[in-house]
Amino acid sequence: MPGGPINAQACSVPVAPSAPLRRLTRFEYNNTLRDLASITDNPANAFPSEESGNGFGNDAAAQSVPDILAEKYISTAANIASTLTQPANVGNLAACASAPAVSDELTCVRSVIDGFVARAYRRTVQPAEADGLAQLFQKVRVKETFTSSLAAVLEAVLQGPDFLYKPEFGEPVPGRTDVLRPTGDEMAVRLSYLFFGSMPDPVLKQAAASGELQTPAGVQTQARRLLADPRARQVTAFFFDNLLPIAALSALERDKTLFPAWNAKIGSLLRQETQTFLDREIFEGPGTWPGMFTAKYTYMNDELAAYYGVAGVSGSSFQQVALDGLKRGGLLTQGGMVSGPIHSNQTNPVTRGALIVKKLLCQSIPLPTGGVLAQVKVPEPTSAPTARERFSAHSSQAACAPCHSNLDPAGFALENFDAVGQWRDQENGVTIDASGNLPLVGAFSGPVELGQRMAESPEAAQCFSRRWMEFGYGRVAGERDACALKSTGEKFKAGGYNIKELLVELTQTDTFNYLPAVRE
Amino acid sequence: MNILGKNKMHRRTLLTGAGSIAIALPWLECMGEKKLAHAQAGTVAKRFLSVYQPGGTIADQFWPSGTPDAPVLSPILKPLESVKSKLLVLRGLDMACAVGEQHQAGIIGFLTGSTQGAEKPGLTDGGYSYYPSIDQVIATKISKNIKAKASLQMAVRWATGVSHGLLHPINAANFEDSAQLSPIPPRLDPQQIFDDLFGTLTPAVAPTPAANSAPLERRKSILDFVIGRYAEVSTRLGPIDRAKLEQHLTKIREIELGLSRGPVGSATCRAPVRVDTAGYNPATGLNSNEEGSIVDISTDSLIPTVGKFMMDMMVMALACDITAVGSLQWSDTEAKHTFPWLNLTTHHHAYQHDDSPEGIAACAKIGTWYSEMHNYLLSAMDLVDMGGHTLLDESVVFFGSELSVSPTHAKNNMPFLLAGRGGGLRGGRLAVFNSTSHNNLLVSILNLFGDPRTSYGDPQFCTGALSGIA
Repeated sequence: MPGGPINAQACSVPVAPSAPLRRLTRFEYNNTLRDLASITDNPANAFPSEESGNGFGNDAAAQSVPDILAEKYISTAANIASTLTQPANVGNLAACASAPAVSDELTCVRSVIDGFVARAYRRTVQPAEADGLAQLFQKVRVKETFTSSLAAVLEAVLQGPDFLYKPEFGEPVPGRTDVLRPTGDEMAVRLSYLFFGSMPDPVLKQAAASGELQTPAGVQTQARRLLADPRARQVTAFFFDNLLPIAALSALERDKTLFPAWNAKIGSLLRQETQTFLDREIFEGPGTWPGMFTAKYTYMNDELAAYYGVAGVSGSSFQQVALDGLKRGGLLTQGGMVSGPIHSNQTNPVTRGALIVKKLLCQSIPLPTGGVLAQVKVPEPTSAPTARERFSAHSSQAACAPCHSNLDPAGFALENFDAVGQWRDQENGVTIDASGNLPLVGAFSGPVELGQRMAESPEAAQCFSRRWMEFGYGRVAGERDACALKSTGEKFKAGGYNIKELLVELTQTDTFNYLPAVRE
Repeated sequence: MNILGKNKMHRRTLLTGAGSIAIALPWLECMGEKKLAHAQAGTVAKRFLSVYQPGGTIADQFWPSGTPDAPVLSPILKPLESVKSKLLVLRGLDMACAVGEQHQAGIIGFLTGSTQGAEKPGLTDGGYSYYPSIDQVIATKISKNIKAKASLQMAVRWATGVSHGLLHPINAANFEDSAQLSPIPPRLDPQQIFDDLFGTLTPAVAPTPAANSAPLERRKSILDFVIGRYAEVSTRLGPIDRAKLEQHLTKIREIELGLSRGPVGSATCRAPVRVDTAGYNPATGLNSNEEGSIVDISTDSLIPTVGKFMMDMMVMALACDITAVGSLQWSDTEAKHTFPWLNLTTHHHAYQHDDSPEGIAACAKIGTWYSEMHNYLLSAMDLVDMGGHTLLDESVVFFGSELSVSPTHAKNNMPFLLAGRGGGLRGGRLAVFNSTSHNNLLVSILNLFGDPRTSYGDPQFCTGALSGIA
């Protein structure tokens, strides 16, 4: 089963980890230009869509170059180079670049190469490379102005492989022939893109230069420092926006007569609730993954509190609010988490179940095909008063049961939340039965108990570390990551399932610290 | 309004916008095909367009009545009446290759004749095509390194559901000829497409990107350097990584070759009128979710406007020899968007799964509207005079879907249409086959372009070209 356990029996024998060539994603390109050149208008938003791949759009195995992307790299590089060499900006590249005397031009270009280009390459520019760039300048300079020729150099750099990709060549590891380790600069790149989604900062460059990143301990020190930077919070927010159904709650369409309190603003506040909760738990609170499922508090402002019917919250800023732990408590009971997966005014236990089982428990449940598909029929909205009855009638058929018995129970537990996340005891006058038994996590009655089962589930914790590994390493976890998954999972457990510690552990695996000696 | 007005447009008219701009002769030579007394009988087709419509059709309102040589168009096809003489309705073709997830395998097989590739470990999304799509094969033959762009892919309201804005097996129809399992993302932003294709032709309207206005020699120096750099880095990598960089390198080389043929817009060709699409968010797919519960009314309302604008640009890109091969995708196989202008407020996908009379009526209404749009495209192509014959006459346009019948998601008796007279394609007819695999149709289309092969896509689903197409 593709989503099932990965064979980890061979972990006593070191496996050369996979280290595919990675290209900057749009998120990374935008962040890098921001940090490299103060370009803040997100130029990569004009690039074509990434392949979904591992679900985070950064899967190294799914980064082909269509015509339009090759064109956009070229035209975007030209636009940026043109901006950077405008009279008001060119002095930022090097003080000499504003109006150099002809005799000083080449020296000035050399200083831009040593400065800006080295930062764009995220490493030292080798003498031969610098000569090549200087020659490009001279070639163009025959017919063009100094500024245009300097821009040509920047243009070439910004569409070249040293900027757009993160090539790694490594250096030998004493006593090992099967693996190399990333050079200091390469390790700085691994770290900064993991925690900042961007290029290394000066402190990290310094650590690379001093040899500090040659040991896992030195890597760990920097990982902890980066994790304390506000930019790390942006990356975790990006992760959760892709993992959870909260990215676009403001655009959820609901019938205004049935749900008069619902509107786009509420949707965005619900997203903010979940984002704030996760962010503060991780960076200011206890920050364990199981704890997310059982926390007896959440975050609201006055408007959202009114929507939830919670008294005593004033002001527009989000603040911690205690929950009763009966109806609500934990991530799965947040309004955005339960309304995001619902596509109409009626709840759907299958789509809610799929979120929990597929995304949060990493279980692979294939979509129906062939003969099974022919028998699939979504139940009529009026066929029974409760969703449980409607879907049970359909899911208990022999063809559907094998998959739906693993999906639907998690959705049944959330049936007390309607299509906009409000609590209800009844559906169409019939009392809701929110009990169930999900094979992987056990029996529960209601949403809070489902959260407790999730919190107790080793599979849920292992799945979470796997999702982070897939996002952090830009891959779908495969056989060769088995040992990294296993060791990270064990350390995640040993550390009380603390998320920040998990992120640090991601930098301590063989996968992160080595690359194969024989390149793929 | 759009440029493709009521009057037949002549080649000369196209060029009048040039004013005093110098004419790049080598480029124009491509346009100046020899005048043919009659349509393209005996010659090969010169341009290919594929149009994808999501969600299949309603069979009993789609298939024409009458006889094969004198078909009477059905309610859904009725909007195509004015181009009927250049329309070939294909009945009895099955998409036998569409093995895989129900929607994904359909769009993947549509232009490739391939089964869906194996899913990636850890995911349930399924894979892509094992074969290139025919548009890319045709582009390699007639367009790549000949026209300014090898091919153009455009999509309206794309990546609506589970793919949330990203390229995914559920929305990929085009696959690279040069790299395995490589889907091609379509262009989505109508204003950007306009700038890319026609921006330099209408400097009063469009900002001129620095890249396009830069002197040719400077651009070549930069690209030479970049190409050298890609080549150098790739030699130091392993075979898989090297292949990635080499694919990128190939694309840059093609762009460089395009420069010496004359960059897009450096020659003379009148652009379509730029249409205001304010309120349309081309990236709205990024906000979508699996269930289609995210509705962007503003963007959905502008689908007809943007669709027509994209068709205007596609027609002119062909007529002006910017490319010879194009693909237009109306949404993706999920089609989780609404049709406010048809007063349909639930998303298309939901209607497809709804086999109640209301669901069927909605799907028929949607299918009829897609026929109206297809008529807009074909009529526009038929208004461009290419010197004694029209653009449509020298083209082949393939229209189809990933399903045959919306509610059942079946893939037999596919709603496929060919249009044009390129390669001697004979329209005005209904061609009837008997459960024949559509891989055979793909062979026939390639044959119209002078590609002599007898099998395409997965060979287990192909027995050779269809008879009676040309």
